[in-house]
Amino acid sequence: MFRNKKSFFKKLGIFLAILGPGIITGSVDNDAGGITTYSVAAAVYGYNLIWTLIPSFIVLVVIQEMNARMGIVTGKGLADLIRENAGVKITFFIFIGLLIADVGNTTTEFAGVAGSMEVFGVSKYISVPIVGFMIWFLVVKGTYKIAERIFLLFSVSLLMYVVSAIMGKPHWGEIGHAIIHPQMEFNAQSLAMIIGLVGTTIAPWMQFYMQSSVIEKGLKMKQYNYSLIDIVVGCVATVVVAFFIMVACASTLHVNGIQINEAKDAALALKPLAGAFASQVFAFGLFIASIFSATILPLATAFYVCEAFGFEAGIDKKWNEAKEFYVLYTGILIVGAAIILVPNAPLIFISLWSQVINGMLLPVVLVCMMLLVNNKKIMGKYVNKPVNNLIGWGAVIILIALSLALLVVPFFS
Amino acid sequence: MTSITTFYLSRIIGQKVQDHYGIYIGTVKDLLVDPDPSNYPTGHPVVKGIKIKYSKNNSFYSFENFHIEKVDGNITIICEQLVELSKDEIANSMYLADAVLDNQIVDLNGRKLVRVNDVRLVTISSGTFAVAVDIGIEGLLRRIGIVKPLKFLAGLWGGTIPSKFILWEDVETIDFSNLNIKLSKSYAKLQTLHPSDLADIIEDLGRKASTQVFSALDEEKAADVMEELDTETQVHILESLSIEKAADVLDKMPADEVADILDALEDDRAEQLLNEMEKDTSQEVRELLVYPDHTVGSIMSSEVMSFNQNATIEKVLEELREKKPEFETLYNLFVTDDNEVLLATFSVRDVVISSPDVQIKQIMKPSPVHLRDYQKINEVAEIVSKYNLLAIPVVDKKNVLKGMVVIDDVIEDLIKKRRTNK
Repeated sequence: MFRNKKSFFKKLGIFLAILGPGIITGSVDNDAGGITTYSVAAAVYGYNLIWTLIPSFIVLVVIQEMNARMGIVTGKGLADLIRENAGVKITFFIFIGLLIADVGNTTTEFAGVAGSMEVFGVSKYISVPIVGFMIWFLVVKGTYKIAERIFLLFSVSLLMYVVSAIMGKPHWGEIGHAIIHPQMEFNAQSLAMIIGLVGTTIAPWMQFYMQSSVIEKGLKMKQYNYSLIDIVVGCVATVVVAFFIMVACASTLHVNGIQINEAKDAALALKPLAGAFASQVFAFGLFIASIFSATILPLATAFYVCEAFGFEAGIDKKWNEAKEFYVLYTGILIVGAAIILVPNAPLIFISLWSQVINGMLLPVVLVCMMLLVNNKKIMGKYVNKPVNNLIGWGAVIILIALSLALLVVPFFS
Repeated sequence: MTSITTFYLSRIIGQKVQDHYGIYIGTVKDLLVDPDPSNYPTGHPVVKGIKIKYSKNNSFYSFENFHIEKVDGNITIICEQLVELSKDEIANSMYLADAVLDNQIVDLNGRKLVRVNDVRLVTISSGTFAVAVDIGIEGLLRRIGIVKPLKFLAGLWGGTIPSKFILWEDVETIDFSNLNIKLSKSYAKLQTLHPSDLADIIEDLGRKASTQVFSALDEEKAADVMEELDTETQVHILESLSIEKAADVLDKMPADEVADILDALEDDRAEQLLNEMEKDTSQEVRELLVYPDHTVGSIMSSEVMSFNQNATIEKVLEELREKKPEFETLYNLFVTDDNEVLLATFSVRDVVISSPDVQIKQIMKPSPVHLRDYQKINEVAEIVSKYNLLAIPVVDKKNVLKGMVVIDDVIEDLIKKRRTNK
């Protein structure tokens, strides 16, 4: 008994040491763009699209498991592997797309910062420059690791969406019904919404991030099982938070026929329906999620682009050693923040198009991943099992079909 | 043919090959070079073979009968006669496109990993040679196929697109995706790098390549490099090497460093290694492993030189010459009694400036500043700085000399702390 207890604590210790990549990736997943998409989808379709979270969850787990396995086996980043095996042209296409989409996403994160602070009565002309400078300073001055941990702690506050959701007095019976009997309308708007939901849950840049953090943690094949738990916990957290955001918005906004364009609108609209507290909780969650992602996203993007094209990269390098990296990082941050400060900036257009580019990139990145993870030269005996391949290729095919359908359907309706 | 033709590897790959009647005989997939630098004294490996794909078959031919001609910027590849390479020749070759292009190599002058955007080759009368690797932006844009319009645009603004080449003699290739390769590559050029630089490079390599490069080092170098690696890479390499080979490397390292590494390994593996190591070394390591983290004992070096106070300087010099201790061990010399209880210290300076017949007790400094083996590490830095010491003796509670803490280890500990605070 005593020995069991000891081994339990030892295992718990190992798990806590390994903990991180999956859970952080999961938290960043519910960024401003994600919260916006979930809110809008729920405001328009009520509980009807909640079912999409279940396939998203399965695909998310399968994909992140592949990333973790590739990271553990090769010790190389996804960008490295793609460059070495797919050549320059495909790499160039992926990273130009990733760069554009991530600038758009960063803009969305700053929109989240601006919007959430406006709920608390702070002008965006104050909040965005301050937050932008703070993030830049944090990373360049090298206190990023601490920041990451603080954010991780804060991301627990995303569970506050549960509070927001319950205060909206949802109809649990209807929710259950909607999940068991999935509904889908075949029109452009509904298809776009579904692609948006899947795309925001499985963003392409996250695959690169996941693999790099597994390598940074120095995980080994022996710790694979713990890593898997970490991934599942992270994905469950992602989907649970997404579920409650959708419930919160569906049971208030949709029922009252309120249409929204931004996550901020959701927070504001919650006020008369579920009370000021629910509204503030929603806005606070949005604020934390936005800062967290605005910190990680530009950093990660600059890192992968440099990795793929062979420039020095990393926050432990000095400005002169890794000029391309810092210029790129600072550039993404400045552009993202500056767009928000332009009066009447087409934010919805930007967020829509960065989602579409993400949606187009995702199948390309996934195909590269599937080919890499099945390559015996790279993975040795740890190539995919048939189940992984079935779900992986299935996801690729469905995503491509959905994207194609989105392009074709408007011509028929 | 006496003319000199230079060309890029990327321009050759995917090109059609014709025989001298102009009939299509296949498409170029790769070029094969000799990876062993001892075979090419100029530092530029000769292209031995070419991989050609015709319909669905890949074949390897000797490059001798191929000619590359450049007319008005267009490249044509003409083959006079197809001579197949033997299995052995193929197995002992390095594939330029597969193993070098787009892969990371070591830039020996910059002492870091760089990614290869292209390889520059030259054909002269004696053959075709790989002369340099292109790691610049220009090479990248050339591969994507947009270098000419961008150069034109840049020219309008009076700018240029930066290009950067490294000569072949200043690089070392690392990764072999060629599974058939038989020879174990020597990485001779890497041996010239400083162990710290080499360690940084190995840390940045992938799993397979890091073990491969490490295994190729000779034992002395391997031990020096192992000391400088970060914990994760140390663990990874020790787990991929055979027990015997790993133990040989550890035998060559100071006991305190070995203890640190074994601490990070799994208990079974650590025990296996200790059993395989030489008796005296493993005994020292076992003693150090007893100390918990964050205690002075865990960072101290157990290699110290202690003398009897009645010994003469001549005797001391004799013993130093015989034992040839590491430089660090000389930071501080100690005086102990018959029970190894610490009495005093003296320095190499004291030894050097004294005449040979002087006894140690005449020059030694009694009641020295010292640490206890179970003392917390964080108090050490202050003591080092306060007393301006290079090395402080460590004693147990009976004042028996156990080892010493060297300033390098204190600094290393401070840096580690600062890093983890980030």
